[in-house]
Amino acid sequence: MSSTDVVEEYVQDERDPSRSPNVPITGLMVQYYHVCKRELWFMANGIDIDRETTNIQRGTHVDETSYGTSRRSFMIDNRIQLDILDSGDVMEVKVSSALEKPARMQLLFYLWYLREIHDIDKDGVLAYPTERKRESVVLDETTTAEVESTVRGVLDVVGRDSPPQLEKKPYCGTCLYQDLCWM
Amino acid sequence: MTKANHHIFADGELSRKEGTLRIDTLEGETKYLPVESIDALYLHGQISFNTRALGLLNKHGVPVHIFGWKDYYRGSYLPKRSQLSGNTVVEQVRAYDNTERRLRIGHRIIEASIHNMRANLQYYSGRRGDFDSVVETLRELKTAVSDTQRIDELRAVEGDARKRYYDCFDSILEAPFRLAKREYNPPSNETNALISFLNGMVYTSCVSAIRKTALDPTVGFVHEPGERRFTLSLDIADIFKPILADRLVFRLVNRKQITTDDFETELAGCLLTEQGRLTVLEEFERSLDQTVQHPRLKRKVSFKTLIQTDVYSLKKHLLTGEPYHATEKWW
Repeated sequence: MSSTDVVEEYVQDERDPSRSPNVPITGLMVQYYHVCKRELWFMANGIDIDRETTNIQRGTHVDETSYGTSRRSFMIDNRIQLDILDSGDVMEVKVSSALEKPARMQLLFYLWYLREIHDIDKDGVLAYPTERKRESVVLDETTTAEVESTVRGVLDVVGRDSPPQLEKKPYCGTCLYQDLCWM
Repeated sequence: MTKANHHIFADGELSRKEGTLRIDTLEGETKYLPVESIDALYLHGQISFNTRALGLLNKHGVPVHIFGWKDYYRGSYLPKRSQLSGNTVVEQVRAYDNTERRLRIGHRIIEASIHNMRANLQYYSGRRGDFDSVVETLRELKTAVSDTQRIDELRAVEGDARKRYYDCFDSILEAPFRLAKREYNPPSNETNALISFLNGMVYTSCVSAIRKTALDPTVGFVHEPGERRFTLSLDIADIFKPILADRLVFRLVNRKQITTDDFETELAGCLLTEQGRLTVLEEFERSLDQTVQHPRLKRKVSFKTLIQTDVYSLKKHLLTGEPYHATEKWW
């Protein structure tokens, strides 16, 4: 019996070029984990619904039209989409600060991923252009622990045979999955 | 927020004009259709089109349902699927191939279908005749559904219910409309023609809804996949026919929105005239947009959305084992 921690194991799988983790975690998965675990399960298990909703289009639009000149986009490992500011900080752009924690955790996950998998240390900026608001995000002992518990949680939820129980949340009404989830 | 279906009756040509659809009718009229605003395109006339037009429809995920001579349904052009999921199809086929799982899904579909037939009779009982005993029989048949152990047994219960249901039509329908006996291919009288036409519209609405999921439209649970049609659409259509087609038949006839002048009888049977089809389609589209308060979603949804959520529920059932809630009229 090996008692290797799942997070350690995950990092090893990511770092080893000859291996890859069973469940490669994305920023979206981290976000969903903190928004709704049922949504995470649906998404990670490929249960998708028609994505024509205007909220997604709005998000994409705000992202694409904001801070055009001062940032560059990178795609890392075909999975992690990063925006690097001229200052070198990693930036994540959101439409609204209504779901602050999920957005912060997504950015923290990127920072953690860069540090643990690629040995790159970066700080982050969370930006809400429509609210003219910015927030700096750094990895310290506390936030590192938060990310690692998130990684553990994501792997646990995604690996289950059936979705987590239905639960009414204040933002169910705007969720993409509501017509599938509640039916 | 659902997009609308668009029906084209004219003969002419469909082409792509930059980012939008262009229709040139034989009468020399040119119309532009913003492709983003259409849910599905219905072609009732003789339309020629090229691959550029199809490419645009494809890009926007708009299915095209094609009706040929006298509006017989000819087939559909379904865009490359936005939803592709091997998992979903594998689970769908597994469920089909597992007698227990297939039956359980079949039970839900037929229960809902009988429930919705009964709801219609209940509405008209007292208004147009006394259907209390048939309503009671349908209640019993609905209960009997879950006892069936084989698909043919299940279909027999469904057939029995449908026959009793159709037997009430002549009391509900104002003269001179009579069903007498359900006959299609070709429809033998006006009522049969009207039912067939509307059933076709319900069927294509289900095809559109299924296309928005990764489910395979050819693998149904009650209907056998060998029937050379989208059998899953036939299954889902059975649930919605009483709600969307039959209720409209009664309304159109009894309010005299449709009269015998809207039909023509030829060697090939009785069929709606073009004017008749226009009237029916307008009312059909209107009823798709009608909304009801949904007890689970806690918001108003249109009947069109109701078809979509029914299919989502089936998909979720197949992939997670959570119960499938076939749509039973609650409003």
